[in-house]
Amino acid sequence: MEVSVSAAVNVSILALSVIFTVLIVLIFTIKILVKLVPYKAPTVPPARAVSAGNSTGQDDQVAAITATLAAHMQKRPDEFRIVNIQTH
Amino acid sequence: MEFSFSSSALKIANSTAFSSLESGDVIMLGVACVLIYLAIWKKFEPLLLLPMGFGCLLANIPMSMMASTDTGGLLNFFYQGIKHEVLPPLIFMGVGALTDFGPLLANPSTFLLGAAAQIGVYTTLVGAVFLGFNMQEASAIGIIGGADGPTSIFLASKLAPHLLAPIAVAAYSYMSLVPLIQPPIMKLLTTEKERKIKMEQLKPISQTVKIVFPVTVTIVCCLMLPGVTPLLGMLMLGNLFRESGVTARLHETAETHLINIVTILLALAVGSSMTAQSFLQWQTIKIIVLGLLAFTFATAGGVIFGKIMCKFTGGKVNPLIGSAGVSAVPMAARVSQKVGSEADSSNFLLMHAMGPNVAGVIGSAVAAGVFLSLFGDVSTGLDSHAALAPVIGNPEPGIRAIATVVDVIKQ
Repeated sequence: MEVSVSAAVNVSILALSVIFTVLIVLIFTIKILVKLVPYKAPTVPPARAVSAGNSTGQDDQVAAITATLAAHMQKRPDEFRIVNIQTH
Repeated sequence: MEFSFSSSALKIANSTAFSSLESGDVIMLGVACVLIYLAIWKKFEPLLLLPMGFGCLLANIPMSMMASTDTGGLLNFFYQGIKHEVLPPLIFMGVGALTDFGPLLANPSTFLLGAAAQIGVYTTLVGAVFLGFNMQEASAIGIIGGADGPTSIFLASKLAPHLLAPIAVAAYSYMSLVPLIQPPIMKLLTTEKERKIKMEQLKPISQTVKIVFPVTVTIVCCLMLPGVTPLLGMLMLGNLFRESGVTARLHETAETHLINIVTILLALAVGSSMTAQSFLQWQTIKIIVLGLLAFTFATAGGVIFGKIMCKFTGGKVNPLIGSAGVSAVPMAARVSQKVGSEADSSNFLLMHAMGPNVAGVIGSAVAAGVFLSLFGDVSTGLDSHAALAPVIGNPEPGIRAIATVVDVIKQ
């Protein structure tokens, strides 16, 4: 089949138009979707304060975390303080 | 039976592959070694070029029955996966499972950059026709500009199967050379001021939108261009595995084991098609040159459209992200980041470039769909599946057997 360059140019213009059309349709679809279902930040449970006199089992957790962090950061345990623990 | 030492020695000598070795085979063994060298020592797309090079090595050992055309040979079976459109869509499933469409959804106008980068496909199409290829062959060569290996293989196997080997080699070789090909073009087409543009942080996207998106794309694109459904459908299914949050095991399999296994089969099958008869032709050199042209124009198209978007948005878009529209995920996006950070070390373009990058994947699949609509023969695909029936048999007894098993389990 003998093919001319002008035919190839015509095909190129047609094909590019189709690609732009399809992708523009997708752009508008996404914009509508994003409008309909906006992003909502996930709700984080309120942080629980760790009080000095807390005598529950959390003391053990704080002690364990403090010791681990101290070893990791190569600091003494009294050089930093854990103020709260967030559970997810 | 009479036995003599000399006749037996001659028989053994004649049964070795050395006796059938021709100059073409020797050259192709050299080509295979070059591919293996590039993969191992130069780190050029090693996951693909290594098995591809080794497949080429195996296929060019005479009497080994390892060429894609050797019916009954091992690699001939692997090659059926390309011929019958199985392996490239499975790769796309893995790509979908690996890809986060979030940056694209956060800035959907970057879809236009993915479309603009397809200009490389069409300039190459015109160039290929100018060099004497027919329209089907030119389309298969042009899609190299989409910088998408599975799409190139998929289209070549449908429109120009005799050119599959050089097209696959050109596509993957140039994809590995993206960090070398793109930066000079990007710097040539942009000013220092444009390269320093900092883009606004992307807005977060709701998980529901991320889930609805693959379903929507499948419906919209596959209804418009049904020929591309195997590729795009699998890409979107893989992404749905990822985003749905209820198929963790399928997602993990698709993005790791499945894509790795299929990559081995695909690359070996492509390598097995690199025989002297199919590869050592002037056409191969033309395709290699046209492939470079395709990548160059695709990069230029993306960057120029990025400049247009920069003007229209009052300087909010950095034109460098346009070059990522050539697909080649995520390497092209990394190149945008690198060139941007060279101009200003505090400029982070990676996530912004991921938008056009994944848009390029969809864009090149759509481009392939347009070619299939124009030059593909839908009945050919149906016939090939019908031809497989004697091999895979009639599925009905199998389905009945499954139904029986289900009944037994229920009881």
